[in-house]
Amino acid sequence: MPETFDSPPRFDTVLIANRGEIATRIQKACRELGLKTVVVYSEADRQAPYGKTADSALCIGPSSAAKSYLNKDALLLAARLTGAGAIHPGYGFLSENAAFADAVEKAGLAFIGPSASSIEAMGDKISAKRAMIAAGVPCVPGPDTALSDDPAAVERLALEIGYPVIIKAAGGGGGRGMRVVPEAGLLQEAVALTREEARQAFGSPSLYMEKFLQHPRHIEIQVLCDTHGNAVWLGHRDCSMQRRHQKVVEEAPAPGISPDVIRPVGRACVEACRQIGYQGVGTFEFLYEDGAFYFIEMNTRLQVEHPVTEMTSGIDIVQAQIKVAQGDPLELAQADVKCEGHAFECRINAENPDTFLPSAGVITSLALPEGMGIRVDTHIHAGYKVPPYYDSLIAKLIVHAPTRAEAMARMREALAGTRVDGISTNIPFLRALFEDSAFTRGETDIHYLEQWLKQRRAP
Amino acid sequence: MSAIDFSDPATIAFLTEALTAAGASGLEISWPGGRLRIVIATGNEAGVDVSVTPRPAPTAQPLVVVKAPMAGHFYPGSPSRQAATDRLPSVLAADILGFLRVGPLLLPLCAGRAGILTKQLAEPDALVGFGDPLFEIEPQS
Repeated sequence: MPETFDSPPRFDTVLIANRGEIATRIQKACRELGLKTVVVYSEADRQAPYGKTADSALCIGPSSAAKSYLNKDALLLAARLTGAGAIHPGYGFLSENAAFADAVEKAGLAFIGPSASSIEAMGDKISAKRAMIAAGVPCVPGPDTALSDDPAAVERLALEIGYPVIIKAAGGGGGRGMRVVPEAGLLQEAVALTREEARQAFGSPSLYMEKFLQHPRHIEIQVLCDTHGNAVWLGHRDCSMQRRHQKVVEEAPAPGISPDVIRPVGRACVEACRQIGYQGVGTFEFLYEDGAFYFIEMNTRLQVEHPVTEMTSGIDIVQAQIKVAQGDPLELAQADVKCEGHAFECRINAENPDTFLPSAGVITSLALPEGMGIRVDTHIHAGYKVPPYYDSLIAKLIVHAPTRAEAMARMREALAGTRVDGISTNIPFLRALFEDSAFTRGETDIHYLEQWLKQRRAP
Repeated sequence: MSAIDFSDPATIAFLTEALTAAGASGLEISWPGGRLRIVIATGNEAGVDVSVTPRPAPTAQPLVVVKAPMAGHFYPGSPSRQAATDRLPSVLAADILGFLRVGPLLLPLCAGRAGILTKQLAEPDALVGFGDPLFEIEPQS
Protein backbone atom coordinates (compact mmCIF):
# COMPACT_ATOMS: atom_id res chain seq x y z
CA MET A 1 0.00 0.00 0.00
CA PRO A 2 1.36 3.43 -0.85
CA GLU A 3 2.09 5.62 2.12
CA THR A 4 0.26 8.85 2.67
CA PHE A 5 2.42 11.87 2.01
CA ASP A 6 2.38 14.13 5.04
CA SER A 7 4.01 17.54 4.81
CA PRO A 8 7.46 17.19 6.34
CA PRO A 9 8.60 19.86 8.78
CA ARG A 10 10.63 22.70 7.19
CA PHE A 11 14.02 23.28 8.72
CA ASP A 12 16.93 25.71 8.57
CA THR A 13 19.51 23.68 10.49
CA VAL A 14 20.72 20.18 9.66
CA LEU A 15 22.51 17.92 12.13
CA ILE A 16 24.99 15.68 10.32
CA ALA A 17 24.94 12.33 12.10
CA ASN A 18 28.08 11.01 10.47
CA ARG A 19 31.79 11.58 10.10
CA GLY A 20 34.63 11.71 7.60
CA GLU A 21 34.27 12.60 3.96
CA ILE A 22 30.50 12.32 3.93
CA ALA A 23 30.17 14.81 6.81
CA THR A 24 32.17 17.27 4.68
CA ARG A 25 30.05 16.49 1.60
CA ILE A 26 26.74 17.02 3.42
CA GLN A 27 28.01 20.22 5.00
CA LYS A 28 28.88 21.59 1.54
CA ALA A 29 25.42 20.77 0.20
CA CYS A 30 23.73 22.41 3.19
CA ARG A 31 25.83 25.55 2.89
CA GLU A 32 24.99 25.87 -0.81
CA LEU A 33 21.32 25.61 0.10
CA GLY A 34 21.68 28.31 2.76
CA LEU A 35 21.17 25.88 5.63
CA LYS A 36 23.08 25.91 8.91
CA THR A 37 24.89 22.76 10.00
CA VAL A 38 25.51 21.03 13.28
CA VAL A 39 28.40 18.59 13.33
CA VAL A 40 28.50 15.93 16.01
CA TYR A 41 31.66 14.01 16.67
CA SER A 42 33.24 11.42 18.89
CA GLU A 43 36.28 12.18 21.01
CA ALA A 44 38.50 10.57 18.35
CA ASP A 45 37.17 13.07 15.79
CA ARG A 46 37.54 16.14 18.02
CA GLN A 47 40.06 17.70 15.61
CA ALA A 48 38.16 16.86 12.40
CA PRO A 49 38.15 19.88 10.07
CA TYR A 50 34.42 19.80 9.31
CA GLY A 51 33.74 20.52 13.00
CA LYS A 52 35.51 23.84 12.64
CA THR A 53 33.53 24.91 9.57
CA ALA A 54 30.11 23.97 10.98
CA ASP A 55 27.78 26.49 12.58
CA SER A 56 27.78 24.35 15.73
CA ALA A 57 29.83 21.34 16.72
CA LEU A 58 29.24 19.06 19.65
CA CYS A 59 31.04 16.05 21.02
CA ILE A 60 28.49 13.31 21.65
CA GLY A 61 30.57 10.52 23.11
CA PRO A 62 33.77 8.53 23.31
CA SER A 63 35.60 7.05 20.33
CA SER A 64 33.59 3.84 20.20
CA ALA A 65 30.96 4.19 17.44
CA ALA A 66 28.45 2.34 19.61
CA LYS A 67 28.70 5.13 22.17
CA SER A 68 28.76 8.03 19.71
CA TYR A 69 27.68 7.76 16.06
CA LEU A 70 25.38 4.82 16.80
CA ASN A 71 23.98 6.33 19.99
CA LYS A 72 20.45 7.37 19.00
CA ASP A 73 19.74 9.17 22.28
CA ALA A 74 22.96 11.20 22.10
CA LEU A 75 22.16 12.25 18.52
CA LEU A 76 18.60 13.26 19.36
CA LEU A 77 19.81 15.16 22.42
CA ALA A 78 22.40 16.97 20.28
CA ALA A 79 19.65 17.95 17.82
CA ARG A 80 17.52 19.26 20.65
CA LEU A 81 20.34 21.21 22.31
CA THR A 82 21.45 22.85 19.05
CA GLY A 83 18.00 23.54 17.63
CA ALA A 84 18.52 21.39 14.54
CA GLY A 85 15.35 20.75 12.56
CA ALA A 86 16.60 17.81 10.54
CA ILE A 87 19.08 14.95 10.77
CA HIS A 88 21.09 13.72 7.81
CA PRO A 89 22.38 10.22 8.55
CA GLY A 90 24.82 9.97 5.62
CA TYR A 91 25.68 6.33 4.88
CA GLY A 92 26.54 3.50 7.26
CA PHE A 93 25.97 4.02 11.01
CA LEU A 94 22.21 4.72 11.51
CA SER A 95 21.35 5.55 7.91
CA GLU A 96 19.25 2.40 7.39
CA ASN A 97 18.01 2.05 10.95
CA ALA A 98 14.21 2.22 10.87
CA ALA A 99 13.96 2.71 14.64
CA PHE A 100 16.22 5.77 14.43
CA ALA A 101 14.25 7.26 11.51
CA ASP A 102 11.08 6.70 13.53
CA ALA A 103 12.57 8.30 16.65
CA VAL A 104 13.68 11.33 14.63
CA GLU A 105 10.18 11.75 13.18
CA LYS A 106 8.58 11.30 16.61
CA ALA A 107 10.88 14.01 17.98
CA GLY A 108 9.30 16.38 15.45
CA LEU A 109 12.43 16.51 13.29
CA ALA A 110 12.89 15.70 9.61
CA PHE A 111 14.85 12.55 8.82
CA ILE A 112 16.68 13.20 5.55
CA GLY A 113 15.90 9.85 4.05
CA PRO A 114 12.89 7.63 3.49
CA SER A 115 10.25 6.88 6.10
CA ALA A 116 10.90 4.32 8.81
CA SER A 117 8.35 1.97 7.21
CA SER A 118 10.15 2.11 3.83
CA ILE A 119 13.49 1.37 5.50
CA GLU A 120 11.92 -1.52 7.38
CA ALA A 121 10.20 -2.94 4.30
CA MET A 122 13.37 -2.84 2.18
CA GLY A 123 15.54 -4.06 5.07
CA ASP A 124 13.69 -7.36 5.04
CA LYS A 125 14.94 -8.98 1.84
CA ILE A 126 11.87 -11.22 1.48
CA SER A 127 9.37 -8.36 1.72
CA ALA A 128 11.58 -6.25 -0.56
CA LYS A 129 11.62 -9.01 -3.18
CA ARG A 130 7.84 -9.36 -2.93
CA ALA A 131 7.42 -5.61 -3.50
CA MET A 132 9.79 -5.71 -6.47
CA ILE A 133 8.00 -8.64 -8.11
CA ALA A 134 4.70 -6.77 -7.67
CA ALA A 135 6.20 -3.73 -9.42
CA GLY A 136 7.64 -5.75 -12.29
CA VAL A 137 11.28 -5.42 -11.22
CA PRO A 138 13.21 -8.52 -12.40
CA CYS A 139 14.36 -10.73 -9.51
CA VAL A 140 16.68 -13.70 -9.07
CA PRO A 141 14.77 -17.01 -9.59
CA GLY A 142 13.44 -18.21 -6.23
CA PRO A 143 10.27 -17.65 -4.17
CA ASP A 144 9.45 -14.43 -2.33
CA THR A 145 8.70 -16.35 0.83
CA ALA A 146 10.80 -17.50 3.76
CA LEU A 147 12.42 -20.91 3.56
CA SER A 148 10.39 -23.69 5.14
CA ASP A 149 11.58 -25.53 8.26
CA ASP A 150 10.76 -28.82 6.51
CA PRO A 151 14.01 -30.29 5.06
CA ALA A 152 12.11 -32.15 2.32
CA ALA A 153 10.41 -28.94 1.17
CA VAL A 154 13.80 -27.16 1.11
CA GLU A 155 15.26 -29.95 -1.02
CA ARG A 156 12.34 -29.83 -3.44
CA LEU A 157 12.71 -26.07 -3.79
CA ALA A 158 16.47 -26.31 -4.50
CA LEU A 159 15.81 -28.91 -7.21
CA GLU A 160 13.11 -26.72 -8.71
CA ILE A 161 15.43 -23.65 -8.82
CA GLY A 162 18.42 -25.74 -9.94
CA TYR A 163 21.89 -25.96 -8.35
CA PRO A 164 23.94 -23.99 -7.47
CA VAL A 165 21.62 -22.12 -5.12
CA ILE A 166 22.35 -19.50 -2.48
CA ILE A 167 20.85 -19.41 1.01
CA LYS A 168 20.48 -15.90 2.40
CA ALA A 169 19.38 -14.35 5.70
CA ALA A 170 16.24 -12.23 5.23
CA GLY A 171 17.73 -9.56 7.49
CA GLY A 172 21.23 -9.76 6.02
CA GLY A 173 23.08 -7.58 3.56
CA GLY A 174 26.52 -6.34 2.58
CA GLY A 175 27.70 -9.84 1.83
CA ARG A 176 26.96 -11.22 5.29
CA GLY A 177 24.59 -14.07 6.17
CA MET A 178 24.74 -16.04 2.94
CA ARG A 179 26.03 -19.41 1.78
CA VAL A 180 26.39 -20.92 -1.70
CA VAL A 181 25.28 -24.55 -2.10
CA PRO A 182 26.77 -26.23 -5.18
CA GLU A 183 25.08 -29.63 -4.76
CA ALA A 184 22.25 -31.39 -2.95
CA GLY A 185 24.49 -33.20 -0.44
CA LEU A 186 25.57 -29.94 1.16
CA LEU A 187 22.13 -28.33 1.36
CA GLN A 188 20.84 -29.21 4.84
CA GLU A 189 24.07 -28.34 6.63
CA ALA A 190 24.26 -25.00 4.78
CA VAL A 191 20.68 -24.17 5.76
CA ALA A 192 21.31 -25.03 9.42
CA LEU A 193 24.52 -22.97 9.58
CA THR A 194 23.07 -19.93 7.82
CA ARG A 195 19.94 -20.05 9.99
CA GLU A 196 22.02 -19.98 13.15
CA GLU A 197 24.20 -17.17 11.77
CA ALA A 198 21.10 -15.19 10.84
CA ARG A 199 19.60 -15.71 14.28
CA GLN A 200 22.76 -14.47 15.98
CA ALA A 201 23.79 -11.68 13.59
CA PHE A 202 20.45 -10.25 12.50
CA GLY A 203 18.07 -11.30 15.28
CA SER A 204 15.88 -13.35 12.94
CA PRO A 205 16.38 -16.91 11.69
CA SER A 206 14.35 -16.20 8.55
CA LEU A 207 16.08 -17.39 5.35
CA TYR A 208 15.32 -17.47 1.66
CA MET A 209 16.75 -19.31 -1.33
CA GLU A 210 17.71 -18.10 -4.78
CA LYS A 211 19.51 -19.27 -7.88
CA PHE A 212 23.24 -18.59 -7.52
CA LEU A 213 24.59 -16.72 -10.52
CA GLN A 214 28.14 -17.75 -11.48
CA HIS A 215 29.62 -14.69 -13.18
CA PRO A 216 27.39 -11.71 -12.56
CA ARG A 217 28.23 -8.03 -12.59
CA HIS A 218 26.94 -5.66 -9.89
CA ILE A 219 24.82 -2.97 -11.49
CA GLU A 220 22.92 -0.24 -9.62
CA ILE A 221 20.13 2.12 -10.51
CA GLN A 222 19.92 5.42 -8.62
CA VAL A 223 16.44 6.77 -7.90
CA LEU A 224 15.21 10.08 -6.53
CA CYS A 225 11.64 10.46 -5.25
CA ASP A 226 9.78 13.36 -3.65
CA THR A 227 6.89 13.48 -1.20
CA HIS A 228 4.41 14.34 -3.97
CA GLY A 229 4.53 11.02 -5.79
CA ASN A 230 7.16 12.04 -8.36
CA ALA A 231 10.11 9.75 -9.02
CA VAL A 232 12.97 9.59 -11.51
CA TRP A 233 15.96 7.33 -12.08
CA LEU A 234 19.34 8.95 -12.66
CA GLY A 235 21.12 6.32 -14.72
CA HIS A 236 23.15 3.31 -13.71
CA ARG A 237 26.49 2.38 -12.16
CA ASP A 238 28.76 -0.63 -12.33
CA CYS A 239 30.19 -1.57 -8.93
CA SER A 240 31.55 -5.01 -9.84
CA MET A 241 35.10 -4.21 -8.74
CA GLN A 242 34.78 -5.59 -5.22
CA ARG A 243 37.02 -7.18 -2.64
CA ARG A 244 35.29 -9.23 0.06
CA HIS A 245 31.94 -7.70 -0.97
CA GLN A 246 33.33 -4.18 -0.46
CA LYS A 247 33.31 -1.92 -3.50
CA VAL A 248 36.70 -0.54 -4.49
CA VAL A 249 36.06 1.23 -7.81
CA GLU A 250 32.71 2.34 -9.24
CA GLU A 251 31.81 3.72 -12.62
CA ALA A 252 28.87 5.27 -14.43
CA PRO A 253 27.39 4.29 -16.76
CA ALA A 254 27.88 0.52 -16.58
CA PRO A 255 29.89 -0.33 -19.72
CA GLY A 256 28.41 -2.46 -22.47
CA ILE A 257 24.75 -2.21 -21.44
CA SER A 258 22.62 -0.55 -24.07
CA PRO A 259 20.00 2.03 -23.12
CA ASP A 260 17.30 -0.24 -24.58
CA VAL A 261 18.22 -2.97 -22.10
CA ILE A 262 18.50 -0.76 -19.01
CA ARG A 263 15.55 1.59 -19.68
CA PRO A 264 12.74 -0.86 -18.80
CA VAL A 265 14.59 -1.79 -15.60
CA GLY A 266 14.94 1.88 -14.63
CA ARG A 267 11.26 2.43 -15.29
CA ALA A 268 10.36 -0.60 -13.17
CA CYS A 269 12.44 0.80 -10.31
CA VAL A 270 10.60 4.10 -10.50
CA GLU A 271 7.28 2.25 -10.56
CA ALA A 272 8.32 0.25 -7.49
CA CYS A 273 9.14 3.50 -5.67
CA ARG A 274 5.70 4.89 -6.48
CA GLN A 275 4.01 1.69 -5.33
CA ILE A 276 5.76 1.64 -1.97
CA GLY A 277 5.53 5.41 -1.48
CA TYR A 278 9.28 5.79 -1.35
CA GLN A 279 10.73 9.24 -0.56
CA GLY A 280 14.28 10.51 -0.97
CA VAL A 281 17.23 8.87 -2.69
CA GLY A 282 17.65 5.14 -3.03
CA THR A 283 19.59 2.55 -4.96
CA PHE A 284 18.33 -0.64 -6.55
CA GLU A 285 21.12 -3.18 -6.67
CA PHE A 286 21.09 -5.86 -9.37
CA LEU A 287 23.14 -8.78 -10.49
CA TYR A 288 23.54 -8.74 -14.27
CA GLU A 289 24.39 -11.86 -16.20
CA ASP A 290 23.85 -12.89 -19.84
CA GLY A 291 21.90 -9.75 -20.61
CA ALA A 292 19.41 -10.15 -17.75
CA PHE A 293 18.96 -8.15 -14.52
CA TYR A 294 18.18 -9.73 -11.16
CA PHE A 295 17.21 -7.52 -8.19
CA ILE A 296 19.22 -8.24 -5.03
CA GLU A 297 18.40 -5.41 -2.63
CA MET A 298 17.49 -1.78 -2.25
CA ASN A 299 19.68 0.60 -0.28
CA THR A 300 17.46 3.19 1.35
CA ARG A 301 20.14 5.84 1.75
CA LEU A 302 22.80 7.88 0.03
CA GLN A 303 25.52 5.61 -1.42
CA VAL A 304 29.27 6.11 -1.06
CA GLU A 305 29.46 6.01 -4.87
CA HIS A 306 26.79 8.67 -5.52
CA PRO A 307 29.40 11.09 -7.02
CA VAL A 308 29.78 9.09 -10.26
CA THR A 309 26.07 9.58 -10.91
CA GLU A 310 26.36 13.27 -9.99
CA MET A 311 29.19 13.65 -12.51
CA THR A 312 27.28 12.01 -15.38
CA SER A 313 23.81 13.41 -14.61
CA GLY A 314 24.88 16.88 -13.44
CA ILE A 315 22.47 16.57 -10.51
CA ASP A 316 23.60 17.27 -6.94
CA ILE A 317 22.08 14.22 -5.28
CA VAL A 318 22.70 15.40 -1.71
CA GLN A 319 21.05 18.75 -2.35
CA ALA A 320 18.14 17.02 -4.08
CA GLN A 321 17.78 14.72 -1.09
CA ILE A 322 17.63 17.67 1.32
CA LYS A 323 15.08 19.51 -0.83
CA VAL A 324 12.86 16.42 -0.85
CA ALA A 325 13.08 16.31 2.95
CA GLN A 326 11.93 19.95 2.98
CA GLY A 327 8.83 18.86 1.08
CA ASP A 328 9.83 20.44 -2.22
CA PRO A 329 8.63 18.75 -5.42
CA LEU A 330 11.31 17.36 -7.73
CA GLU A 331 12.66 20.05 -10.05
CA LEU A 332 13.01 17.65 -12.95
CA ALA A 333 11.01 15.03 -14.84
CA GLN A 334 12.45 11.84 -16.33
CA ALA A 335 12.81 13.49 -19.74
CA ASP A 336 15.11 16.10 -18.15
CA VAL A 337 17.58 13.49 -16.92
CA LYS A 338 20.46 13.36 -19.37
CA CYS A 339 23.50 11.32 -18.44
CA GLU A 340 26.62 12.27 -20.34
CA GLY A 341 30.19 11.04 -20.48
CA HIS A 342 31.79 8.52 -18.18
CA ALA A 343 32.82 8.75 -14.51
CA PHE A 344 34.98 6.64 -12.20
CA GLU A 345 35.35 6.73 -8.46
CA CYS A 346 38.28 5.25 -6.53
CA ARG A 347 37.92 4.72 -2.81
CA ILE A 348 41.15 5.78 -1.14
CA ASN A 349 41.45 3.70 2.00
CA ALA A 350 43.93 3.97 4.85
CA GLU A 351 45.13 0.40 4.53
CA ASN A 352 48.13 -1.62 3.48
CA PRO A 353 47.97 -2.03 -0.33
CA ASP A 354 49.09 -5.67 -0.11
CA THR A 355 47.55 -7.03 3.08
CA PHE A 356 44.61 -4.56 3.24
CA LEU A 357 45.12 -4.24 7.00
CA PRO A 358 43.89 -0.84 8.26
CA SER A 359 46.54 1.83 8.78
CA ALA A 360 45.91 4.56 11.34
CA GLY A 361 48.19 7.48 12.15
CA VAL A 362 49.12 11.03 11.23
CA ILE A 363 49.18 12.16 7.59
CA THR A 364 52.50 13.96 7.41
CA SER A 365 52.00 15.45 3.96
CA LEU A 366 49.43 15.23 1.24
CA ALA A 367 49.03 15.98 -2.47
CA LEU A 368 45.59 15.78 -4.09
CA PRO A 369 44.99 16.13 -7.82
CA GLU A 370 43.14 19.04 -9.35
CA GLY A 371 41.98 19.91 -12.83
CA MET A 372 39.18 19.59 -15.33
CA GLY A 373 36.95 16.58 -14.66
CA ILE A 374 38.65 15.75 -11.35
CA ARG A 375 36.89 15.87 -7.99
CA VAL A 376 38.13 14.79 -4.57
CA ASP A 377 35.68 14.26 -1.73
CA THR A 378 37.65 14.15 1.50
CA HIS A 379 38.10 15.53 4.99
CA ILE A 380 41.81 14.82 5.36
CA HIS A 381 44.69 17.31 5.40
CA ALA A 382 48.38 17.28 6.27
CA GLY A 383 48.57 16.75 10.03
CA TYR A 384 45.22 14.94 10.18
CA LYS A 385 45.25 11.90 12.42
CA VAL A 386 43.41 8.91 10.94
CA PRO A 387 41.70 7.25 13.92
CA PRO A 388 41.73 3.47 14.16
CA TYR A 389 38.10 3.16 15.26
CA TYR A 390 36.16 3.55 12.03
CA ASP A 391 35.93 2.61 8.36
CA SER A 392 39.24 3.09 6.53
CA LEU A 393 37.80 5.31 3.75
CA ILE A 394 39.67 8.62 3.83
CA ALA A 395 38.95 10.07 0.39
CA LYS A 396 37.11 9.48 -2.87
CA LEU A 397 38.82 10.34 -6.11
CA ILE A 398 36.32 10.95 -8.88
CA VAL A 399 36.94 11.74 -12.54
CA HIS A 400 34.66 12.51 -15.47
CA ALA A 401 35.45 12.58 -19.20
CA PRO A 402 33.53 12.25 -22.49
CA THR A 403 34.36 8.54 -22.97
CA ARG A 404 35.30 5.59 -20.75
CA ALA A 405 38.79 5.41 -22.23
CA GLU A 406 39.36 9.10 -21.57
CA ALA A 407 37.99 8.76 -18.04
CA MET A 408 40.39 5.86 -17.39
CA ALA A 409 43.30 7.93 -18.64
CA ARG A 410 42.21 10.83 -16.45
CA MET A 411 42.00 8.54 -13.42
CA ARG A 412 45.52 7.24 -14.10
CA GLU A 413 46.77 10.83 -14.13
CA ALA A 414 44.79 11.69 -11.02
CA LEU A 415 46.13 8.66 -9.15
CA ALA A 416 49.67 9.55 -10.23
CA GLY A 417 49.14 13.00 -8.71
CA THR A 418 47.78 11.66 -5.41
CA ARG A 419 50.15 11.22 -2.49
CA VAL A 420 49.34 10.53 1.15
CA ASP A 421 52.42 10.28 3.39
CA GLY A 422 52.69 9.03 6.96
CA ILE A 423 50.19 6.19 6.66
CA SER A 424 49.68 3.33 4.22
CA THR A 425 46.97 3.66 1.59
CA ASN A 426 45.62 1.52 -1.24
CA ILE A 427 46.80 4.04 -3.88
CA PRO A 428 49.55 1.73 -5.31
CA PHE A 429 46.95 -1.04 -5.66
CA LEU A 430 44.52 1.32 -7.46
CA ARG A 431 47.28 2.50 -9.83
CA ALA A 432 48.03 -1.11 -10.75
CA LEU A 433 44.35 -1.92 -11.23
CA PHE A 434 43.91 0.95 -13.68
CA GLU A 435 46.72 -0.56 -15.80
CA ASP A 436 44.98 -3.95 -15.99
CA SER A 437 43.93 -4.88 -19.50
CA ALA A 438 40.70 -6.71 -18.62
CA PHE A 439 39.49 -3.83 -16.44
CA THR A 440 40.47 -1.42 -19.19
CA ARG A 441 38.29 -3.39 -21.64
CA GLY A 442 35.41 -3.31 -19.10
CA GLU A 443 32.53 -5.63 -18.22
CA THR A 444 34.48 -7.64 -15.62
CA ASP A 445 32.36 -9.58 -13.11
CA ILE A 446 32.17 -9.36 -9.31
CA HIS A 447 34.77 -12.11 -8.84
CA TYR A 448 37.37 -10.53 -11.09
CA LEU A 449 39.19 -8.43 -8.50
CA GLU A 450 39.66 -11.34 -6.07
CA GLN A 451 41.09 -13.46 -8.90
CA TRP A 452 43.34 -10.60 -10.03
CA LEU A 453 44.67 -10.21 -6.49
CA LYS A 454 45.32 -13.96 -6.22
CA GLN A 455 47.31 -13.89 -9.47
CA ARG A 456 49.36 -10.92 -8.27
CA ARG A 457 50.20 -12.74 -5.05
CA ALA A 458 51.17 -15.94 -6.88
CA PRO A 459 54.98 -16.37 -7.21
CA MET B 1 49.80 2.42 38.43
CA SER B 2 51.50 -0.96 38.02
CA ALA B 3 53.45 -2.24 41.00
CA ILE B 4 55.76 -4.35 38.81
CA ASP B 5 59.42 -3.29 38.87
CA PHE B 6 60.51 -3.69 35.26
CA SER B 7 64.14 -2.99 36.12
CA ASP B 8 64.22 -6.07 38.35
CA PRO B 9 66.46 -8.74 36.68
CA ALA B 10 64.06 -11.48 37.78
CA THR B 11 61.16 -9.74 36.01
CA ILE B 12 63.26 -9.25 32.87
CA ALA B 13 64.31 -12.90 32.90
CA PHE B 14 60.71 -14.00 33.30
CA LEU B 15 59.52 -11.78 30.43
CA THR B 16 62.38 -12.95 28.18
CA GLU B 17 61.47 -16.56 28.83
CA ALA B 18 57.80 -15.92 28.13
CA LEU B 19 58.57 -14.07 24.88
CA THR B 20 60.87 -16.83 23.69
CA ALA B 21 58.28 -19.48 24.49
CA ALA B 22 55.61 -17.51 22.63
CA GLY B 23 57.86 -17.05 19.59
CA ALA B 24 57.57 -13.24 19.89
CA SER B 25 60.39 -11.10 18.49
CA GLY B 26 60.44 -8.56 21.28
CA LEU B 27 58.63 -6.19 23.57
CA GLU B 28 58.86 -2.59 24.68
CA ILE B 29 57.29 -1.20 27.83
CA SER B 30 57.37 2.45 28.82
CA TRP B 31 56.32 3.83 32.17
CA PRO B 32 56.62 7.27 33.70
CA GLY B 33 60.01 6.48 35.19
CA GLY B 34 61.68 4.60 32.35
CA ARG B 35 61.58 2.11 29.51
CA LEU B 36 62.28 -1.59 29.03
CA ARG B 37 63.07 -3.07 25.63
CA ILE B 38 63.67 -6.78 25.08
CA VAL B 39 64.66 -8.03 21.62
CA ILE B 40 64.74 -11.78 21.07
CA ALA B 41 67.60 -12.30 18.62
CA THR B 42 68.06 -15.28 16.30
CA GLY B 43 69.31 -18.21 18.31
CA ASN B 44 67.13 -17.08 21.21
CA GLU B 45 69.73 -14.76 22.69
CA ALA B 46 67.87 -11.83 24.02
CA GLY B 47 69.09 -8.25 24.04
CA VAL B 48 67.83 -6.17 26.95
CA ASP B 49 67.86 -2.43 27.28
CA VAL B 50 66.51 -0.90 30.49
CA SER B 51 66.66 2.81 31.00
CA VAL B 52 65.29 4.23 34.19
CA THR B 53 64.82 7.96 34.42
CA PRO B 54 65.69 9.26 37.85
CA ARG B 55 62.43 9.83 39.65
CA PRO B 56 61.87 13.57 40.07
CA ALA B 57 61.49 15.00 43.52
CA PRO B 58 57.88 14.89 44.66
CA THR B 59 56.05 17.97 43.41
CA ALA B 60 52.45 19.08 43.34
CA GLN B 61 50.14 16.44 41.95
CA PRO B 62 48.98 16.98 38.36
CA LEU B 63 45.87 19.06 37.91
CA VAL B 64 42.59 17.21 37.58
CA VAL B 65 40.13 18.36 34.92
CA VAL B 66 36.43 17.84 35.48
CA LYS B 67 34.88 17.04 32.09
CA ALA B 68 31.29 17.10 30.84
CA PRO B 69 29.79 13.61 31.08
CA MET B 70 27.40 14.37 28.19
CA ALA B 71 26.21 17.26 26.05
CA GLY B 72 24.25 20.04 27.73
CA HIS B 73 24.24 23.67 28.83
CA PHE B 74 26.79 24.45 31.51
CA TYR B 75 25.82 26.15 34.77
CA PRO B 76 28.62 26.74 37.26
CA GLY B 77 27.95 27.06 40.97
CA SER B 78 25.37 25.38 43.10
CA PRO B 79 22.21 26.65 44.77
CA SER B 80 23.84 26.41 48.17
CA ARG B 81 26.78 28.72 47.50
CA GLN B 82 28.25 31.41 45.31
CA ALA B 83 29.43 30.75 41.78
CA ALA B 84 32.38 28.42 41.87
CA THR B 85 34.97 30.87 40.65
CA ASP B 86 34.11 33.78 42.91
CA ARG B 87 36.86 32.50 45.14
CA LEU B 88 39.29 29.64 45.06
CA PRO B 89 37.59 27.28 47.46
CA SER B 90 38.69 24.01 48.80
CA VAL B 91 36.39 21.36 47.48
CA LEU B 92 35.60 17.88 48.62
CA ALA B 93 35.19 15.01 46.17
CA ALA B 94 31.43 14.98 46.65
CA ASP B 95 30.98 18.75 46.24
CA ILE B 96 28.76 19.91 43.41
CA LEU B 97 30.62 22.43 41.27
CA GLY B 98 27.85 23.14 38.81
CA PHE B 99 25.24 21.57 36.59
CA LEU B 100 24.56 20.50 33.05
CA ARG B 101 21.08 21.48 31.93
CA VAL B 102 19.65 18.92 29.55
CA GLY B 103 16.09 19.92 28.73
CA PRO B 104 14.23 20.18 32.02
CA LEU B 105 16.91 18.21 33.89
CA LEU B 106 19.85 19.55 35.85
CA LEU B 107 22.69 17.07 36.00
CA PRO B 108 25.03 17.77 38.95
CA LEU B 109 28.75 18.05 38.22
CA CYS B 110 30.74 16.67 41.15
CA ALA B 111 34.36 17.54 41.87
CA GLY B 112 35.28 13.87 42.09
CA ARG B 113 38.50 14.80 43.89
CA ALA B 114 39.31 16.89 46.96
CA GLY B 115 41.50 19.93 46.33
CA ILE B 116 41.56 23.57 45.34
CA LEU B 117 39.28 24.65 42.54
CA THR B 118 41.67 26.69 40.42
CA LYS B 119 39.81 27.36 37.18
CA GLN B 120 36.45 27.29 35.51
CA LEU B 121 37.03 26.37 31.87
CA ALA B 122 33.64 26.95 30.23
CA GLU B 123 31.45 30.00 30.06
CA PRO B 124 28.15 30.02 31.96
CA ASP B 125 25.25 28.84 29.75
CA ALA B 126 27.68 27.55 27.08
CA LEU B 127 26.67 24.47 25.13
CA VAL B 128 29.26 21.86 25.98
CA GLY B 129 29.79 18.41 24.55
CA PHE B 130 30.87 15.07 25.95
CA GLY B 131 34.37 15.33 27.40
CA ASP B 132 34.64 19.12 27.21
CA PRO B 133 36.73 20.49 30.13
CA LEU B 134 34.68 22.41 32.73
CA PHE B 135 36.81 22.85 35.88
CA GLU B 136 40.40 22.43 36.95
CA ILE B 137 41.24 21.16 40.43
CA GLU B 138 44.60 21.06 42.16
CA PRO B 139 44.34 17.87 44.22
CA GLN B 140 45.23 17.82 47.87
CA SER B 141 45.95 14.57 49.58
